[in-house]
Amino acid sequence: MSGTENQAVRPAVLFETADDLDAINRLYRKNRWSDGLPIVPPTKARVEAMLKCAGRPRDALVARVAPAFGAATVEGIAINAVMAGCDPEYLPVLIAAVEAATAPEFNLQAVQATTNPVAVMIILNGPLARTLEVNSTFNCLGEGAWANATLGRALRLVLRNIGGALPGDMDRATQGQPGKYSFCCAENEAETPWEPLHVERGFRADQSTVTVVGVEGTINMNTHTDKGAEVLDMFAQTMIHPPSNEYIFGGEPWLILGPEHAATLARAGYSKADVKARLWQLSRMPASLLPPKDLERVQNARRPELGEFGAEAMLTISPRPEDICIIVAGGPGTHSTYAPSFGMIRAVTRVVG
Amino acid sequence: MGHAQAKALGVPALPIVAIDHPFGVRSRDEVRAMAEKAVDDVARVMSGGGAP
Repeated sequence: MSGTENQAVRPAVLFETADDLDAINRLYRKNRWSDGLPIVPPTKARVEAMLKCAGRPRDALVARVAPAFGAATVEGIAINAVMAGCDPEYLPVLIAAVEAATAPEFNLQAVQATTNPVAVMIILNGPLARTLEVNSTFNCLGEGAWANATLGRALRLVLRNIGGALPGDMDRATQGQPGKYSFCCAENEAETPWEPLHVERGFRADQSTVTVVGVEGTINMNTHTDKGAEVLDMFAQTMIHPPSNEYIFGGEPWLILGPEHAATLARAGYSKADVKARLWQLSRMPASLLPPKDLERVQNARRPELGEFGAEAMLTISPRPEDICIIVAGGPGTHSTYAPSFGMIRAVTRVVG
Repeated sequence: MGHAQAKALGVPALPIVAIDHPFGVRSRDEVRAMAEKAVDDVARVMSGGGAP
């Protein structure tokens, strides 16, 4: 348990327990200090080892985490990193992720407290992702890589234990989703035919960054076509789904392209900006697909952007083509992922360290 | 949610005006009526009348 009080920035509280893993996990389970999985006990020795990689004083305040606005100190973050099983070298990534997730444009209060299933996905770019062996290839959104699993889990623990987002309490998610346990990968920069995400967002290629994204889930897109235009048609048809926050609020859809699909598009002459522009056009959705009550929601939410419109309108998925976000990740295969965003949110990137 | 957040923020006794959930499925007129009722409750709370 972080022991950080919600309002005061105080050192962690030490608990004396039997030196017994089962007993410790019973304590964490009873107090709802875990995500439902067993934790690595954050002993003083483990936390001190973690803090050696922090690069900042242990009592430095990184952020206040909504909705409880608990104080995420370096020490508090380190404790949750230990609990998740992180290597100490991961801590600067987690600190940057907390900074990113608490930036105003990420809208963390809504992300944490909504009935929507939104999970916070972490994307790593730059050399540190390779040094830390963050998986960007086979099964990069699945299980099996220590860094991916524990970093994603550690951020969730911070959001719960410091942010206070406990299900049924201040986390009001109707159903949630598996990505709320852990959701982290790196971009496959060796395989992308375009500039990687962090360069596109204004950072140098040799900088290491973490980007946080609020996504409703993952939808697989499997197409064997070798024609770029047909790949885009398939993607756009997947993106068009009426019960989507993207169309209601004007979202920020994320596409995680498998390297084969990215190569097909690049061979067909599409730049990343071309892909976005084409998808923005192709994914326009007839407003008539929405029941009247949902159409009214879209009208209320997007009137400042779109003006007055009715069921005859073609709704764009996002306000601008450049709001569509693309990374390349995964191994060989004809699969890509559409990750619908929470809608009223924008991804945030921060430099690690 | 409001009570949980008030407790987390260190003001557990904060008077809170509750609005029925969900209101996303209600008509605009119904939501307007709820808002008008809430305004009265907010005024009562702010004038020291306690939570409704």
